[in-house]
Amino acid sequence: MSSNQEPRMGSYVGIVIGLMIIVGIEVILTYRHLPARTLLFSLLCLACVEAFLGIMYLMHVKYESPLLFWTVFPATLFVLVLLNYVWPDAYRMARMSLFK
Amino acid sequence: MSQSGVTVGVGHAELMEASPYRMEKKKLGMWIFIVADACTFATFLFGYGYMRVGSQNWGTPFEFPTILNGIVMTFILLSSSLTMLAAVQATQAERKASAIKWLGLTMLLGTVFAVLHLREWFKMIGEGWRLFSNPTGGAAQFGATFFSVTGLHLAHVISGVIALLIIMRGYNRGRYDGSHVETTGLYWHFVDLVWMFVFPLMYLMNAR
Repeated sequence: MSSNQEPRMGSYVGIVIGLMIIVGIEVILTYRHLPARTLLFSLLCLACVEAFLGIMYLMHVKYESPLLFWTVFPATLFVLVLLNYVWPDAYRMARMSLFK
Repeated sequence: MSQSGVTVGVGHAELMEASPYRMEKKKLGMWIFIVADACTFATFLFGYGYMRVGSQNWGTPFEFPTILNGIVMTFILLSSSLTMLAAVQATQAERKASAIKWLGLTMLLGTVFAVLHLREWFKMIGEGWRLFSNPTGGAAQFGATFFSVTGLHLAHVISGVIALLIIMRGYNRGRYDGSHVETTGLYWHFVDLVWMFVFPLMYLMNAR
């Protein structure tokens, strides 16, 4: 049911190899012993790139109706943003004060 | 039942407007499930983050062999996404034997992933890791968050392998068609993408 212009198998192989390379970069960054915050930020950014590639190409969202994208992703992002309410309490637990 | 040439009650679906999403209902249903499941995983990962930020002695217990096992598992799961795509393309080209072969290979890779994962778990349990016990002396919640997040993902992989088996048998017997394989493929890719967050957050962030 998806629209035409779907990529050939060669494109999929390229995307999966790209994902494997990103995993390799993640491992290299881990063993460079970066500060925890820098490492977390880098790993999350790379994971988001992987998720974007996977959703758009492997899960074919790029080739579906744009309505699917605009229905699914803003709502999911909204939930993910709301989940961030936990951090002030986590900091309070660790340091008995906020953001110190 | 029939008025003015329009049949009401039976077979009137074609008189309704086409779906604005231009996709089959089962595929849209799978997308709705994926959104809900993504929120479930996100909640588990935020819970892990909450525990970690709120703990002063979290520690980084994973030695390189554990990370290496995780890397192998990641590559296996990514390869299984590729074999799943090959299976979907084979169904679209109506190459039944090829589709069955690729689906079987996807199941095999999923099973290898699950075996490697369980081996890692049993090794950790053998070292004294429990839900609320940390043999390295770090935060006791480590085991609870690690086993719950990776366990939820493992349950999804095992469910996916079972779903693939059912779909493969049905497709082989002509009960299911290519759209069923494609919809199951969506789930499989989702499980793969979730691992792209679980691996860096649960393994790499805890590497020594």
